[in-house]
Amino acid sequence: MAFLYLYIMKFLTLSILLFFTTVGFAQDKPLSNDDRGKLIYYEVVELKDVSQDSLNARAAAFFKKSAKLLKVKSLPVDSMVQASGKMIINKNALVLSRPSGEVLYNFYVETRGGKYRFWLTDFGFIPYQRDRYSNFVPSTTVAIPLERKPGKLNAAEWTGYVKATTREANAFATRFKEAMMNKKIAPPVVKAAPVNPGQKW
Amino acid sequence: MKLRSLLTLATLTIASATTYAQETAEAPLQISGSVDTYFKYDFAKAPNIGTSFATDHNSVSLGMIDLALKKTTGKASFVGELSFGPRGQAQTIPDAGVNGDSFHIQNLYVNYAFTDKFSMTAGYMGTFVGYEVISPVGNFNYSSSYLFYNGPFQNAGIKGTYAFSDKVSLMLGLFNEWNTYSASRGVSSVGGQLMISPVKGWTAYINGLHGLDAYGNYSTIVDLTTAYQVTDKVKIGLNAADLNSGDDSFGYTGVALYPQYAFSPAVALGVRAEYMKFKAYDVVPSASVISGTLSANIKAGGLTFIPEVRFDNDKDLSQGFMKSDGLTATKSASQFSLAAIYAF
Repeated sequence: MAFLYLYIMKFLTLSILLFFTTVGFAQDKPLSNDDRGKLIYYEVVELKDVSQDSLNARAAAFFKKSAKLLKVKSLPVDSMVQASGKMIINKNALVLSRPSGEVLYNFYVETRGGKYRFWLTDFGFIPYQRDRYSNFVPSTTVAIPLERKPGKLNAAEWTGYVKATTREANAFATRFKEAMMNKKIAPPVVKAAPVNPGQKW
Repeated sequence: MKLRSLLTLATLTIASATTYAQETAEAPLQISGSVDTYFKYDFAKAPNIGTSFATDHNSVSLGMIDLALKKTTGKASFVGELSFGPRGQAQTIPDAGVNGDSFHIQNLYVNYAFTDKFSMTAGYMGTFVGYEVISPVGNFNYSSSYLFYNGPFQNAGIKGTYAFSDKVSLMLGLFNEWNTYSASRGVSSVGGQLMISPVKGWTAYINGLHGLDAYGNYSTIVDLTTAYQVTDKVKIGLNAADLNSGDDSFGYTGVALYPQYAFSPAVALGVRAEYMKFKAYDVVPSASVISGTLSANIKAGGLTFIPEVRFDNDKDLSQGFMKSDGLTATKSASQFSLAAIYAF
């Protein structure tokens, strides 16, 4: 009986660990290389029954909402919009975190009736350093292309930056696709009803 | 039983980690810092060059361990930075106690951003004057310049900063005298900083500070600190400063140039070329020093190695350089140092 109990507990532990490992690592779509050799996150999304005008309006709303993070570089030409943005890459250790740098990127969106495509590319990393006030600030203004091989000395750190960029690009893509689906933003939590011990119970 | 405990612990850990992640998704507590150590060999076989840091001859010696905390909640934030070790105590905090001990504080301030453009800060802060800083991770060279050694290290006070744009901002503040946690003669200084960034990669800070200095004088220091990232490989920095406290008090004028070349993101080479003139006062004649420092930065993960050679020329014998016999004064001094700095 005791043997069976131990066996079940072992199975449960492994299952839980496997579940969290799968949840943690299975979601990110890896970055590809485009024909210029640049890293790219590229996706084509079909939204049947949605007109091009509606898609353009939804994209415009997304840009307006993300104005602090995304700067539209060019006015819409045909059906394409280009914007530039940056992601902050954080170094995390248990409950602590600090920014290790930022990744600059270009973002493109193109719409057609019933579908659209978008891509993030031209990723460039700018390392942060701590300034005299203990704030993390860019150590340079010239970004290093993320696809550039860093050499042996910084290979491990660079791999970490690429992984973090992949994670951020996926998160960005998720936000953008939700905006393009015109998903309603979750309403704020309803204010808790006041507790009145005096009332009839 | 043991297995059940492990399972419970693992579940609780995952649950609490998930909870924490949700609560602090925006701005978790930041912790960062550095540790540094060095070896220096002075070619006169005794310590000669007296600027800050890398002081010990033929010794594997300590810099400091530096620990910084930062937290932002909404528009408010705080920074607390403590350092332990010679570099962060007696070598840079002149109000150390009689035994060389001190409160170890490098930064301790609170900040409130009233708007995206205007913020106010109060507390004890690294000085806004000058190019080099106390923390070894903020400098390219490991030894320090004469401008750094003779200028302020920290300022306690209150300041407001207004950013007109990404390219122009202005800071004005009221401060205690240099490098002290509390004022001995009241809030005695007024200071300001104009930041301009004319083109991408070029930033210039024009600084002014008038009030009680570390030499007991009411002085005015005017400082230009600028850096230009010319390409991804070439960077040029410049620091020029003038401290004036009248004809009968200590003062100086100096300039330092910092050209650097990065062979890769991990390897860079840089020079510091400095000219410093100490002004004549009372019966002390004027004197000047020229210093050249060649440093490499070799990075491997969080670790940076800084091999460095330095040559100083003191034509007026004002710095007390001695030959290897320890008795004969000399105009020149040179040293080699190798520092290892880990930043996290």
